[in-house]
Amino acid sequence: MFTLIVGGAASGKSRYAEDLLLRCTDTPRVYIATMEPFDGECRERIARHRAMRAGKGFRTVERYRDLANADVPAGCAALLEDVGNLAANELYGPGGAGEDTVNAVVLGVEALLKKCRTLVVVSNDTHSGGADYEGDTARYLRVLGHINRALAERADNVAELVCGVAVYHKGREPH
Amino acid sequence: MIFVTGPLFSGKAGYARTLCPEGELLLNAHELADGTSDLTALAEELAARYAVITAAEVGGGVVPVDPVQRSQREAAGRLACLLAARADTVVRVFCGIPTVIKGELP
Repeated sequence: MFTLIVGGAASGKSRYAEDLLLRCTDTPRVYIATMEPFDGECRERIARHRAMRAGKGFRTVERYRDLANADVPAGCAALLEDVGNLAANELYGPGGAGEDTVNAVVLGVEALLKKCRTLVVVSNDTHSGGADYEGDTARYLRVLGHINRALAERADNVAELVCGVAVYHKGREPH
Repeated sequence: MIFVTGPLFSGKAGYARTLCPEGELLLNAHELADGTSDLTALAEELAARYAVITAAEVGGGVVPVDPVQRSQREAAGRLACLLAARADTVVRVFCGIPTVIKGELP
């Protein structure tokens, strides 16, 4: 079962996604973290998310790029967070997929689907804040938009998170 | 007229092309709003001429500091409201998934 969660900043995506995973019975629970700890702000954010997951029985796998080769156990329940970071790392980071970012991310999720019984993917709606973008930002928005559409097509369930409320555009709340 | 809206790169154009022939389709109407003195007249004209019109939702995020960008965004939002008001059907596309939010599809 593949559920895609998309929402704006601080819309409650993580908490909702974690709850979905906690309610499913598949184990082990794996958290695939995509944020590279570049600076203090990243580290703070990572610490906040770690605290949120503490005691919930998640095994954390850090994967900043090349999702296809992530080491996750067969039959697990996995939460991938988040596609916005992963796409940025692939697009702009050293050793990233660059021009091939859409494929790298989408095929990476396909690879996870072969291993995981339950997969929840968190992605970002960075696309509702105006249309006046150029250069690298426009490129990033185009790439992430493409990835979100491809994942939504593949997903069993697609929810938009609005102030912590899940609005399902496809399928329904899985468990 | 069917009005199709949604975030940037959400699949509006691809969806709109399934609704009507290319000649009856207007993509990215938000780009026409800028510098138009009479948005109502523009909306009337577009609604009469096209079977399907798309425009991106551009009103989210922080109010732009630049006054030109600010007025462009205002105009785009107002035009979208005027078009949606004249549309029989309004569809919002999110991650490629269309949801009818006004009326029904013919």
